[in-house]
Amino acid sequence: MKVNSMDFDNPIGCYDAAVQELIVIDDILSAMVGVEGRHVLIKIVHGKHDDVTFQVDPSMDLALQELAKRIFPLCRSFLLINQFVESRSQFKSGLVNHAFSAALRALLIDYQAMVAQLEHQFRLGRLSLQGLWFYCQPMMGSMLALSTVIQKASENNFSGSAVLNLLQNQAKAMAGDNAVRLLLEKMTQCASNAYLSILERWVYEGVIDDPYGEFFITENKSLQKETLTQDYDAKYWRQRYSLKDGIPSFLANIAGTILTTGKYLNVMRECGHNVQVPPSENSKLMSYGSNHHYLECIKAAYKFASGELLNLIKEKYDLLGKLQSIKHYLLLDQGDFLVHFMDIARDELARKPDEVSVEKLQSLLDLALRTTAASADPFFEGVTCVVERSSLLKTLGTIKDLEVSQSSSSSSDPEEPVSITALETFSLSYKVLWPLSIVLSRKALTKYQLIFRFLFHCKHVDRQLCGAWQMHQGVRALNTRGTALSRSSLLCRSMLKFINSLLHYLTFEASLSFVIEPNWHVMYNRLQSANSIDEVIQYHDLFLDKCLRECLLLLPELLKKVERLKSMCLQYAATTQWLISSSIEIHSPEEPTDDSIRSNKAKQRKSGNVRQVLKSTTGSVAVMDSVLKFEKEFNAELQSLGSILSSSSQAEPYLAHLAQSILGVKNEKNGL
Amino acid sequence: MPREIITLQVGQCGNQIGMEFWKQLCLEHGISKEGILEDFATQGGDRKDVFFYQADDQHYIPRALLIDLEPRVINGIQNGEYRNLYNHENIFLSDHGGGAGNNWASGYHQGKNVEEDIMDMIDREADGSDSLEGFVLCHSIAGGTGSGMGSYLLETLNDRYSKKLVQTYSVFPNQMETSDVVVQPYNSLLTLKRLTLNADCVVVLDNTALNRIAVERLHLSNPTFAQTNSLVSTVMSASTTTLRYPGYMNNDLVGLLASLIPTPRCHFLMTGYTPLTVERQANLIRKTTVLDVMRRLLQAKNVMVSSYARTKDASQAKYISILNIIQGEVDPTQVHESLQRIRERKLVNFIDWGPASIQVALSRKSPYVQTAHRVSGLMLASHTSIRHLFSRCLSQYEKLRKKQAFLDNYRKFPMFAVCAPISYAHSYIDLLNTTAASVMYFVSLVHLYVVLTQVISSIKNGQDNDLSEFDESRDIIESLVDEYKACESPDYIKWGMEDPNNMMTGEGSDSGSLDPKS
Repeated sequence: MKVNSMDFDNPIGCYDAAVQELIVIDDILSAMVGVEGRHVLIKIVHGKHDDVTFQVDPSMDLALQELAKRIFPLCRSFLLINQFVESRSQFKSGLVNHAFSAALRALLIDYQAMVAQLEHQFRLGRLSLQGLWFYCQPMMGSMLALSTVIQKASENNFSGSAVLNLLQNQAKAMAGDNAVRLLLEKMTQCASNAYLSILERWVYEGVIDDPYGEFFITENKSLQKETLTQDYDAKYWRQRYSLKDGIPSFLANIAGTILTTGKYLNVMRECGHNVQVPPSENSKLMSYGSNHHYLECIKAAYKFASGELLNLIKEKYDLLGKLQSIKHYLLLDQGDFLVHFMDIARDELARKPDEVSVEKLQSLLDLALRTTAASADPFFEGVTCVVERSSLLKTLGTIKDLEVSQSSSSSSDPEEPVSITALETFSLSYKVLWPLSIVLSRKALTKYQLIFRFLFHCKHVDRQLCGAWQMHQGVRALNTRGTALSRSSLLCRSMLKFINSLLHYLTFEASLSFVIEPNWHVMYNRLQSANSIDEVIQYHDLFLDKCLRECLLLLPELLKKVERLKSMCLQYAATTQWLISSSIEIHSPEEPTDDSIRSNKAKQRKSGNVRQVLKSTTGSVAVMDSVLKFEKEFNAELQSLGSILSSSSQAEPYLAHLAQSILGVKNEKNGL
Repeated sequence: MPREIITLQVGQCGNQIGMEFWKQLCLEHGISKEGILEDFATQGGDRKDVFFYQADDQHYIPRALLIDLEPRVINGIQNGEYRNLYNHENIFLSDHGGGAGNNWASGYHQGKNVEEDIMDMIDREADGSDSLEGFVLCHSIAGGTGSGMGSYLLETLNDRYSKKLVQTYSVFPNQMETSDVVVQPYNSLLTLKRLTLNADCVVVLDNTALNRIAVERLHLSNPTFAQTNSLVSTVMSASTTTLRYPGYMNNDLVGLLASLIPTPRCHFLMTGYTPLTVERQANLIRKTTVLDVMRRLLQAKNVMVSSYARTKDASQAKYISILNIIQGEVDPTQVHESLQRIRERKLVNFIDWGPASIQVALSRKSPYVQTAHRVSGLMLASHTSIRHLFSRCLSQYEKLRKKQAFLDNYRKFPMFAVCAPISYAHSYIDLLNTTAASVMYFVSLVHLYVVLTQVISSIKNGQDNDLSEFDESRDIIESLVDEYKACESPDYIKWGMEDPNNMMTGEGSDSGSLDPKS
C-alpha cells in the first residue's frame, strides 16, 4: 500500500490533505480498538479515576483534526469498557459483575466486528473520514452511555445490587433515547440474571446460594432455632434472616415478601419437609423493564410457601390444638385439674420458693393431670412446673417491654412481701417444640405465665375463702344471730363475692364482663382465617397483649390494690379457724362418751349440737373486734379500688365492667 | 379421681328422682344401660369420675346408695332396664319391707336401727374415692322414709363426715291437693329442722310448683309422677354440669355453693330451668337466645318453688345470689349484653346490704344428647321469698298441732315416747327388782326422786316433754324464717345486734350472747 511506503517519521502535516485523511483513518481505526497510531496518541491518565485522552499530531489538517476528535470519545469508551471488563471478570467481583462484564464483552465483540468491517471498507478504499464518522454514529451513543455507567461503577467499586441499581437508574435517565435505553435495559437484564437465580433459589427453595455476599438477605448462622424456647426476644425468628442495604430497586417493594417466603420455606426444610415451590412454565424469574412477571412469580411463591407452612403448622403440628390445650392449662379453661393439684400439693406450695422441690410438684401435677379431664387431652404431657423467685408485681416490673403504664411507682417497690411462698410464684410452663415455637415463643409463653400466675393466686384465695366458708357452715347448728360469727360469715361472703367477681371478670364467665374468653374467640376465628404464619403470630400477640392489659397486669396501681385485697382475704381466711374456735366451746366431757351415748340414747345426740356451745366470754369481744376490723379494712380498700376503677375507666373502658361486677349493682349502698 | 360426690337416694321419692338423675347422667356421658361406654362416646373433656367409678371390667358404676324401707320402687329399679348399672351391694332394703308408714318417727327410728349397715356402705364408698367432696341426698320431706330416715342420715353424716359437704335435693309436698298423708306437716317440720342444721345446701324442689309448671308450661292436664320427676332430674343434672364439664370456675362443689350461700343457715336454693320439654314436644320448641333464657329464668312462673307470699310481701322479696348455668352454643358477648339489659331494666331485685349480681357459668352441652333448643339455662338462686314456703309449713303444722291430731303415731317411738323420764324410772324400778345389793337401794331411791320431780315439773310447765322435738323444730324454722325476713332489710348486717334480748331465743341449745359493739 502507498501509505505503508511513506516515511514514518514525517509529521503528518507534510502530506497533502487526501493522504492525511488516509493516514488519520488508519490511525483512528487502530485507536478504536485501543491501538496507538503514529499520529494519534493514547494517553492513559492514571489517577483517582482512570481516564484516557487522545492527542493528534497538531500539524494535521484542521478539518481532519476536528473530525478525528469527534470520533475519539468512542475510542475512549471502548478503552474504558474494555478495561472494566478485564478488571471485573476477576473472581472476587461477584456474580453480577461477572454477568455484566460478559454482556459488555459481547457488545464489545460486536463493536470490534464493526471496526473490522470498517477497516475492510477502508482497505477497499471506500471509507472516508466522514464515512467513518457516519458509521460510528449508531455505536457512539450506546458506548458513551455504557462508559458513563462503568465509570460510575468503577469509581465506587460497585458490585451486586448496586450495579443493578446503577444500570436501572441510568436506563431510566436515558428514557428519551430509545436505543440506549433498550441497550441499558438489556444490560440490566443480563446483569440481573445471575442475581435473579440467587433469588430464585431463595424464593423457591429457601436456600441462600450467594458466594459473593451480593444478595440482599443475609443469614445469621449463630442463631439456632432451639433458642426460640428460651430467648425472650425470639431473635431466631426475627433476625436469623434479615434484609441488608442495597436492595435492587426493582425488588425494593417486594423485599419483605421475598424475605418471608424464603423464611417460610426454610422453616419447612428445618422441619424435615423438603418443600419446593412447584416449577411451572413461566416461573423463571426475569426482569424486563416494564414486564412485571417476576413480581407475580414471587407472589405466587409467597402464597405457596405461606399456605404450605400454615398448613404444616396447623395440620401436622396442630397449632390450634396446642393453643386449646395451653388455654386449658395456663388460662384454666378446664380448671378441674387445678382443684385437684391444689389439694395434693398444698403443703409443698406453702413453702418458700427456694425450698420447693420442683420435681415433686411436677409429679403431683402429672398425677393431677392424669386423673382429671385433662387426661383426655393429647398434649397434657407438655405441661411443666416452674417456680419463679419473685412475686408477680416484681416480675411485671422487670419485664420491660410490656408497656407497663405508670411504672414510675413500681420501680422502687417497698411492699414486696418478705415471705412469699411458692403459691405466689408458682407457674406452669408448656413444652413447645420447634416449628410451633415460632408462634409460641418464649415471650408469648411468658405472657401466658403472667396471666396464669394471677389466676392461680386468685384461685388460691378463692379456695381459702371457701375453706373459711365451710368452717362457718360447721357452726350452723348454733344460733349465731347477732354474734361475731354471723358478722364474720357475711364478711366471708363479701370477700368471696369479690374474688369470684374478679375471677369471673378475668375468665369471662363473668357477672358483667369478661376478658379471656371473648378475646380468645376473636383470636381463634382470626387464626382460622389467617393467611400466613406472621399473621398468626400477630393475632396471637394481639390476643395476649389485650388479655394482659385487661387482666390489669399492665396497671400496677390497680394490681397492687387487688393484691392487697387478696392478701386481706388470705389473712381473714387464716384467722377464721381462730375466730370460730374462740367463739365456740367444745363440750369436752361429752366427747369421749359420745359413741356410747349415740348408741343408746337418741335424745342426747340432737345433731351433735350438744357439743358446741357459743362462748359468752370476753374472748368473743376480741373476736368481734377483729371481725369488725377486717370488715372495716376490707370495705375501705374495696371502696378505694372502686374509685380508682371508675376514675380510670374513662381511659380504659373495660375497667367499668370490672367495677360493676366487683362492687355489685348497688354500688353506692355497698359500704353501708 | 378427685372431688367425688356420693349420692344417697332415700325413700320412694328419692329413689325415683335418683333413678331419673342417673338415667340422665348416663345419656349425657354416653354410658349405656349396662354402664359401658358407648362406642360413639369418644369425645373427652368430661368428668365421669365425679359421679361414677369404673369397675374392673371398665364399666361405670354410679357412686349411689339406694335406700328404702319398702321394696316397691327399688324392686322396680332392679327389674328395670338400668338394673345392671348399680352396684347391688349398695342397695339397702329393710328386712321386713314394711316401709315407714308415712311416719317420720318410724323412719328415723328404723334409720337408727340400721345405722351400721348403711354406714358400712357409705364408708365403703367413701374409702373408694380419692378425695371425697361430699354427699348428695335425694328425698322427699313429707313421707316417712325419705324424711325420717333421711333426717337420721343427715345427722349421722354431719357427725361422721363433718368436713364433707352435704347437699340435698329435697322434694316438698304438693300443697294444692289434699294429700293422703295427713301427717305431712309433722314430717315436713321435723325434716326441715335437719335440713336447716345438718345440710350445707338444700335445693328445694316444690311439687306444687313442679305440677304447676307441668300444667302451665308443658300443657299436661294431669302430670304424672314420671313427668314431674323428669323435671327434677333435668334440674339435678343441669346443676352438676359445671362439675362434670369443667370450665373456668365452679369446678368443685364447695366453690359452687360458697358463692351462693350467704350465711350458714340461709342455704335453701330455688331453681328454675328453661326451656322445658318433656319427651320431645315438638310444638313447644321456640327460638332461644341467651337474653331470652336469662329473662325467663327470672320469671316466677319458671321457678320451681311456689311463693305463697302476698303481693306486699312478694314485692319485698329479694335475691341474695343468683347463678345461671347456661348450656349450649353461646357467644360470650351475648351473655354480657343480656346481663347489661337485665340490669338496665331492673329485672332483678337484689339485697341492699352487700354486693350482689347475677353470676353466669357457661357450660358445655353433652355432645351425645340431642336437644331441640340451642340454649338452655338453669338458675340456682337464694331468694328471700323462700321463707313463705317455710311459713306455710309452720302454719299447717300449727293447725294440726292445735288439734293434737295424730300425735299417737309419733309417741310410739322412743324419741317422742310419753315422758322419757318415766321410762327412766321404769329402768330404775327394774334395777330395784333385780339388784339385791342394799346399798344400791338408797342410791336408786335418790335417782327415782330426781326423775319424778322432773316429770312433775315438766307437766307443770304445760309442756309435753316428749314433744319437745316438735317445739324445737318449730323454733328453728321460725328463726330461719326470721333470718330470711331480715335479709330483706338493708340493715341485715346488724341484724340481732342491737337487741340483746332477741338473742336468747332459738333452738334450745344454751346459746350465749355477746355485747354488740355498735
